[in-house]
Amino acid sequence: MEEITFKVAPESKVKKKPSFLKPWLSLKYLFKKPVTIKIPYESIEPAEGYRGFHTLDWNKCVGCNFCGQICPARAIEMTWIEVDGKMEKRPHPKIDYGRCTFCQFCVEVCPPGALGFVESYMLTTEWNEEELQLFDWVPIHPDKFKEIQETYRDWRFPVEKIKFDKETKEVTYYLRNGEEFKFKILGYGIRPPKPPAKPTVKAEEKAQAKPEEKTQTKKPELDAESEKAD
Amino acid sequence: MVSQQELIREARENGMELLPLEKDTYELFFGPQHMATENYSLILKMDGHRVVKAIANVGFLHRGFEKLAEYRPWHTNIALLLRICVPEPDVPEAIYSMAVDEIMGWEVPDRAQWIRTTVLEMARVSAYLFWIMGLSFKLGVYTAGQWAAAYRERLMALFEQLTGGRVYHIYTIPGGVRRDIPGDRWLRELKDTVEYIKAKLKDFDNLLFENYIAHRRLEGIGVMDKKFALAEGVTGPNLRATGVAYDVRRADPYLLYPELDFEVPVLKEGDALARAMIRRFELEQDLYILEQLLEMGPPSGPYKVQDPRLKNLPRLKVPAGDAFAHVEATKGDFGAYVVSDGKNKPYRVQIRGPSISHGVRVIEQLLVGARLADVPVILMSLDNCPPDIDR
Ligand code: SF4
Ligand code: SF4
Repeated sequence: MEEITFKVAPESKVKKKPSFLKPWLSLKYLFKKPVTIKIPYESIEPAEGYRGFHTLDWNKCVGCNFCGQICPARAIEMTWIEVDGKMEKRPHPKIDYGRCTFCQFCVEVCPPGALGFVESYMLTTEWNEEELQLFDWVPIHPDKFKEIQETYRDWRFPVEKIKFDKETKEVTYYLRNGEEFKFKILGYGIRPPKPPAKPTVKAEEKAQAKPEEKTQTKKPELDAESEKAD
Repeated sequence: MVSQQELIREARENGMELLPLEKDTYELFFGPQHMATENYSLILKMDGHRVVKAIANVGFLHRGFEKLAEYRPWHTNIALLLRICVPEPDVPEAIYSMAVDEIMGWEVPDRAQWIRTTVLEMARVSAYLFWIMGLSFKLGVYTAGQWAAAYRERLMALFEQLTGGRVYHIYTIPGGVRRDIPGDRWLRELKDTVEYIKAKLKDFDNLLFENYIAHRRLEGIGVMDKKFALAEGVTGPNLRATGVAYDVRRADPYLLYPELDFEVPVLKEGDALARAMIRRFELEQDLYILEQLLEMGPPSGPYKVQDPRLKNLPRLKVPAGDAFAHVEATKGDFGAYVVSDGKNKPYRVQIRGPSISHGVRVIEQLLVGARLADVPVILMSLDNCPPDIDR
């Protein structure tokens, strides 16, 4: 076996001699400015690119479930959503912050770049019952999130309250800047849910599916318009 | 008065078991909520204030990393495995990535190699500062510990800018790193930080490493000899303190280490003082290595391999094969053995952590005959990492 030569440090360099007096030299720190900061009067800002909460551009997301497959904590659940009575073509990820590790692998793999993240990170509540539901959400549009982040700059969650109506399956996000955001959750999973009371519509859709292929590509724009009208 | 025998018999009649008491000894549960043990516990059999027998009681942090890693896609495991070593999470990231690189046959670009080496050295510095914090708290020199925490904060801010995370960086991935260096400003800040900590080393020496009381507390406790250390598979600073010159960065060079210059400290005493001195010197050497790296400057080029397979991470398949990679962490020799059977998940990930040797078997021997007040000091001088034992 080949001998390895280490550059061994001389012992005199490694060893230190005990001293009675030297510790007292540290008293000079009494006259220095402390490095600690005075919270809450001062605060540390997260660095640019800090891995915080997610954002999602609903028009860009193609529902490919790449994010759900890569997620190490299995925090992502694909959700079928209906906005203004119209079902979104593809499912969108719902992220559970009780599980999420903030690794942002989901952001990295998203093929159309629909998922993103912002620096806001405060994952604390005042522990009210209703606040516990907050951290399981379908992320909102990055522009809206950034707008809220700019106005408050306290790095908190942008939604104040989430209301879920069990009967109508209607979800309302009450954003911090007073806006409301309504949609319906139709179901979970990669496969589309069966529409409960409208079998005829589904049959129609099926029949029209083939000739409508060309128009389908245009539909996201329509959706975009309807969302802007919100 | 009822005799002990009668008590035992009476207990047995009622379906209980009473163990006979030994004269003058008692059992002490040390941890897991004790500050010194960090989610790890020792059962000490005490005679007065001397330890007669010590039993390491591990398992409070067991999360089954190795098994869980078999159920997640290759890249995703980074977010899991780094939790094996909390003070320096870049080490498990690096070893796993290096092993997967080897199976894939990827040549990691120069820039990524530079970044990986820098991140590993930064992790070493911050882990040593963390250790200074622990040691000084256990010795009662709280001031030095608070300084160390404050200086570590500077490194955490740098990590935050580079990786997007403060403690868990999730940064080194198979094939390179996840983000590029955020501009020259970051490099300048790193340089300032290295100089700043280097200037502060003198103060640490004055208050902690040349302190008469610290020397009295550390000298001659927890003595480990060379033969015992080698037989138990102790690595890292603990082994170097017994007189063996062994450092993975020299013995099995990886990344940029063949080009870097540093000295390996070796002492013969094998006691807590020697271990503390070795760690202090290594902190100095790590700062010196960082200076060299900054002088070299990051080479230009991509920061991860250009491979079309990386586009589809969830279904990235690694060809069948196995590889072992190890690095020198502040705790010792950290290695990962990764086996692939050609699927999009590992077949097996085995981690060789340094703490399993000195945190379980060695500590049980070293504590025999120690005073109770020295137990936390011996524990800290070995730099035990409970999540690595329990993984
Ligand atoms: S967010 Fe991205 S990765 Fe996830 S389903 Fe939508 S398009 Fe796919
Ligand atoms: S950031 Fe959260 S949701 Fe996204 S992949 Fe990581 S753990 Fe999953």
